Amino acid sequence: MSIPDTPKQIAAPRDRRAELALLVGSFAWLGQAAAIASVVARGTAGTLDAAFVAISAALVLGLGLCRAGLERWASGRLTDLAERHVSSLRRAIIDGELTRRPLAAPAALSSLVSEKLEMLRPAILRFGPARLRAMVVPLALLIVAFTQSWAAGAILLVAGPLIPVFSALVGMAAQQASARQLDQMSTLGTLLSERVGALVDIRLLGAERAVLRDFEGATNDLRARTMAVLRIAFLTSTALELFAALGVAMMAVYVGFSLLGQIEFGTYGAPLNVWSGVFLLLIAPEYFAPLRDMSAAWHDRAAALAVADEVIAWRDAEVPAVLGRGAEAAEIDGPAAVRLMDVTLRLGDQSISYPDAEVAAGQALAISGPSGSGKSTLLAALAGLMPAEAGVIEVAGRSLTAATATGWRQRIGWMPQSPHFMKASVLANLKLARPDADVAAVNNALQAAGILLQIHRLPHGINETLGENGAGLSGGEARRVTLARALLAGADVLLVDEPTADLDAETAAAVRSTLLGLRDEGVLLVIATHDPALVAACDLSIAPKPRGTSA
Amino acid sequence: MTAMKRVLILCLRSAKGAMWRGGALTVLVLLAGVGLLSLSGWFIAAAAAAGLAGAGLTFDVFKPSAGVRALALGRTAARYGERLLTHDATLKALVAVRLRLLRGLMAQPLRRLERARAGAALNRMISDVDALDGVTSRLFLPAIAGAITLILASLGLLWLIGAPVAGWIALVYGGGALAIGRRFGPKALPAARRAERAIQAVRARANDAFAAREDLTVYNALDAQAAQIHRAGFALGRARDRRDSVERVAQFWVTIAVQSAVAGALFIGFWQVSQGTLSTPLATTGVLAALALSEVLMPLARGISEFGRIADSARRVMDDIPEETAPLAERGKTGPVVVPPLDLRGVAITPLIDTLSLTVERGEMALLSGPSGVGKSTVLNVIAGLLPADRGSVCIGGTPVDQYSDEDLRGNLGYLPQRAALIDGTVLDSLRLGNPDLSEDEAWQILEAVQLSGFATSRDGLKTRVGSRGSALSGGERRRVALGRLIAGRPAVLLMDEPTEGLDEATATAVLHGIRTYLPTSAILIASHRDCDRALADRTITLR
Repeated sequence: MSIPDTPKQIAAPRDRRAELALLVGSFAWLGQAAAIASVVARGTAGTLDAAFVAISAALVLGLGLCRAGLERWASGRLTDLAERHVSSLRRAIIDGELTRRPLAAPAALSSLVSEKLEMLRPAILRFGPARLRAMVVPLALLIVAFTQSWAAGAILLVAGPLIPVFSALVGMAAQQASARQLDQMSTLGTLLSERVGALVDIRLLGAERAVLRDFEGATNDLRARTMAVLRIAFLTSTALELFAALGVAMMAVYVGFSLLGQIEFGTYGAPLNVWSGVFLLLIAPEYFAPLRDMSAAWHDRAAALAVADEVIAWRDAEVPAVLGRGAEAAEIDGPAAVRLMDVTLRLGDQSISYPDAEVAAGQALAISGPSGSGKSTLLAALAGLMPAEAGVIEVAGRSLTAATATGWRQRIGWMPQSPHFMKASVLANLKLARPDADVAAVNNALQAAGILLQIHRLPHGINETLGENGAGLSGGEARRVTLARALLAGADVLLVDEPTADLDAETAAAVRSTLLGLRDEGVLLVIATHDPALVAACDLSIAPKPRGTSA
Repeated sequence: MTAMKRVLILCLRSAKGAMWRGGALTVLVLLAGVGLLSLSGWFIAAAAAAGLAGAGLTFDVFKPSAGVRALALGRTAARYGERLLTHDATLKALVAVRLRLLRGLMAQPLRRLERARAGAALNRMISDVDALDGVTSRLFLPAIAGAITLILASLGLLWLIGAPVAGWIALVYGGGALAIGRRFGPKALPAARRAERAIQAVRARANDAFAAREDLTVYNALDAQAAQIHRAGFALGRARDRRDSVERVAQFWVTIAVQSAVAGALFIGFWQVSQGTLSTPLATTGVLAALALSEVLMPLARGISEFGRIADSARRVMDDIPEETAPLAERGKTGPVVVPPLDLRGVAITPLIDTLSLTVERGEMALLSGPSGVGKSTVLNVIAGLLPADRGSVCIGGTPVDQYSDEDLRGNLGYLPQRAALIDGTVLDSLRLGNPDLSEDEAWQILEAVQLSGFATSRDGLKTRVGSRGSALSGGERRRVALGRLIAGRPAVLLMDEPTEGLDEATATAVLHGIRTYLPTSAILIASHRDCDRALADRTITLR
């Protein structure tokens, strides 16, 4: 599944048949207008009989029902198209993102795949058909008007001057107004969410009144500024309204005066007859309606284009991809070993190189250095979560590539730098590492990570659902849960990031001895740390070296 | 539907004038539209009759043609005014709903807020408030203005062309709108609710998977999680499909109603003409009025679909806003002066603390220490009233804390939680949250105490912006602004949880020293595991 090339294709894919059906529906009005005009003409001439009225009314109703049916069928097709389009985009983004290195905060992207993609639907449903109608219907009605009377045609031509220019103007104004409104909404949202986020602090400080007063002042300011812009933006769209109303009025006056015989120009020879007069008046409003529909759909269009730009920004971001896929694959065999040869990794816009190193089962490698220097990046690369920019990483005697990464990961236990808990119980989060683990194994892992007691003190014990960053536990405790998970994996390679940070001296010592005990049992340890005691206990220690920046 | 009613009342009250004037102009716009087409139709048909009868020169052309022009210009002017007024009213309503929400949340028990903060519940509520925009502009005003227009137009037609045509138009449009509303309105609500739930499920699962993607990859669980999101996405597609189909079918019936009204007006009016009981110009007027009145029904289908979405959001938002909230008392202005000591007697908090007694005297700084997870923060939360104790008493100046009113307690008990949040504004604004009457001199003294005066001088002084949630500051600067804000109110009892987190040792020591100097008579209790904090405390209480 791929993502279309241009913002327009992303914002609003089109369905020609549905658009055509809606266009045909609009032309039903020509037949209806003709039938109504015939009835009025006969009525004026005094030659009307009840049967003719009945037939004409039936014709008007029949054409109207056809139009309703066509509209329903077409919008059903468009709904289907919108659903296919949105869900295929959602799938492509989710699947693509899951195999990339994280770039931005997940919240922005999860809002893109949920409510923002949904904003494409109204544009697909409304904008495409509205644009086709706006392009065809006024032009066709103009030609029809000219066949009846060149003066009537001229009125429509003057009232809808340079329709493309006109609709572009309206579009721009609508876009400006809606952008402004979106802007206002998001600012208002930010103001509110900031205060709601700080509610406990506000309450503790007793600052409720001051905060309410400030909020009211700030929001009213915002309102005043928004209204100043809208006052101008609405002027442009009022112009469309003016031309539409004046067009109908001028048509009525011209036709009326012609029929009275006070105007004797504007036709081709014979004076304007009653049928033509009524017919021209009836098609005049329909001449402007498509333009109005389009200006209403422009708001949806602008929102959809903004979403499309976000999709494209995501697609074109240069992000290293994960090696291999997260799917099950055969474990790669051979004794555990890690070897770095001239490895360079990319961290943001800088390259970081690492000294060559080699560790085998039963050994520990410490990666030390100041924070932000690239310790965690190396751990990610060792797990196959990102490719090396240069050099070779060898694991279990093989080069770590897309082909070997999935099999290698089967052997890894992993403790990330910052814990994230899935919205599920602590137990389910732990079992991610080993779905078939039993209670005893889970408790052993918790015990080894020095966190068993704290977990069982939670209100629902091991079945408690923690906040996504471990709310419910302290930062150090949350990190030790991820250590317990790494231990539970029963892996013969452990990649751990700052296992002793945020811990008091006593707990840190316990964690150190757990890890070193595992090493003595034959586990290969790679530890990113700036705990001097832990570095000293490792067999080998390396430090990343920044190699300058590049664009 | 009481939540909807409450939102509506709140919106109407917030901008009464603009709302009524906007509504009146909406009616004017619609009526001018009906008038323009009907008058034009009458004029043409009457002119044709006069022309045929050879009476073209005696026909009064001035009044109808002037009327047509006046209606055209009047409609345009009314439209402009209507758009301005209804937008202004909507914006006012948005502000009012948000203020009410904030106000309502402030009246919630502190314990509930503390719990809500952890979850996404609050963020969710904010997006729900955004969905309430349409209450007036998409639902209330179109419905009321449409009904009034329809009634006025029907009465006008009744007077002009008689009961048969007027009755038919009123019946088809009025009855049709009611029937469509009753048939599809109730369907829209569950459809919208289902769609909303599905969106939240997609968002939550995607967010989970994105945040945990490395763990999922390493533990080979990525595909299973992706499949979960796609299942939620599939459910979302089906829910949206149902929502759209309600709108589509409602729109279908709206079109049917419009076509029936026009065809019916044509048949009834001209059948009367053929019987000689009505004139052609008046029958034409009826047809064109039926055509123009279709504008009244146009917002109906989308309104029904929006109604579901808005009602769903209204229910969730209004659930969190109490109907009545007590007025906020000005803090610190009334009530007794609170004096130390802070006194804990036999406090038990299961399962962490079996029993804890301690006293912090006036001018003393005590430190709670112990390994992480032992319950230091919990003890502070209990003293500050964020958590209940199972047994025992917490007294300040001999009076149990739960006997103080909230205002008295907040004015005299300062508490810095582990994660303190800042609000955008200047440094001075931030400090004044702790004490609205703070002078600029006092503000500089406080900045001096928390070691921020150098930082402030190097930037814009007291006007330095802290940024949204303190984003313009470093972690250590944020912590110190929060400390400054806390001591600005000169609380008699001061509780601080890891006050010097993120500060280097020299700064940490200077900050604590500064605070003690600024508040020489307060009783201070801090939770910390830093040695530099311990060195400054008069006493250490170790929790086991």
